[in-house]
Amino acid sequence: MSARLPDLLLVEPEALLRRTIALTARSAHLASVTEAASIDAARSLLGTRRFDGAFIALDLDASHADGGPLGLLELLRDARTGSDTAMPVAVMLERCDAGLLASLKQFGVSKVILKPFRARIVIDAIAELGRPVRTAQG
Amino acid sequence: MLAPPFPANEARRLGALRELLLLDTPPEQRFDKLVEFAAREFEVPIVLFSLVDTERQWFKARVGMAACSTPRRISFCAHAILQTDLFIVPDTLQDERFADNPLVTGDPFMRFYAGAPLILPSGFAIGTLCLLDIKPRQLDEIDRSMLAALRDLLLEEVLAQDMLPAGGQP
Repeated sequence: MSARLPDLLLVEPEALLRRTIALTARSAHLASVTEAASIDAARSLLGTRRFDGAFIALDLDASHADGGPLGLLELLRDARTGSDTAMPVAVMLERCDAGLLASLKQFGVSKVILKPFRARIVIDAIAELGRPVRTAQG
Repeated sequence: MLAPPFPANEARRLGALRELLLLDTPPEQRFDKLVEFAAREFEVPIVLFSLVDTERQWFKARVGMAACSTPRRISFCAHAILQTDLFIVPDTLQDERFADNPLVTGDPFMRFYAGAPLILPSGFAIGTLCLLDIKPRQLDEIDRSMLAALRDLLLEEVLAQDMLPAGGQP
């Protein structure tokens, strides 16, 4: 058995925040982070890559062509990607009410981070979520 | 106080710095945004994008510091550019190199310094991205990684505007 860093997907439109989180997580050996600046870019990545977890910024006010702001979560949980349908998912949001929280729970979201937040909050969550994945080799 | 020594490649280092055409230029949003982000992330009152010139350090971007430059002989960043790793002084009053430095005994009364040297691909260190606080601090491993990441992003911005070769070999 050997350990590898978990492969995480980070969906965040704000470039400085996204890049800081990704670079820090990589250099601190917490996770290998693949960056997506938009939900559409994330959909493309999920079609071609397997991830161990995801951190997703949801824009509740944006119009989404496919399934609304929670469409990406549906995609993840409905076995329509190559990733484990039970993989841990955290979301970053501008706001959250009881109804939305219930929906997020139904989708198995394990952490909700309200904006504005410091990059360190997400990095600590990555450290928590992204323990090295044990893989069998040989 | 220990005045910072000059790097062995000082003349060529200064040449590489000047080729970037950053010294004494107006503020730029891309750099301002990054130092403001760093100040929020680390919850420090002062963050500087500092360029170490012949006799001064000049701030291309700054948060929390009124002055746009300070003399090089009292500069912490002039120490930081002498090494490749982060240069951290957790408590200036406990460090004999800096305890009587005018930046410590007077405004801004620095007690903490962490500088990430900005090293061009050619090997010349032109300045730092640095964090200052008025109280002693420690940086944990993730803090250090984040400061280095922000330094790398700042250096990317510097190099993005500079289409010239970065000053030959050190």
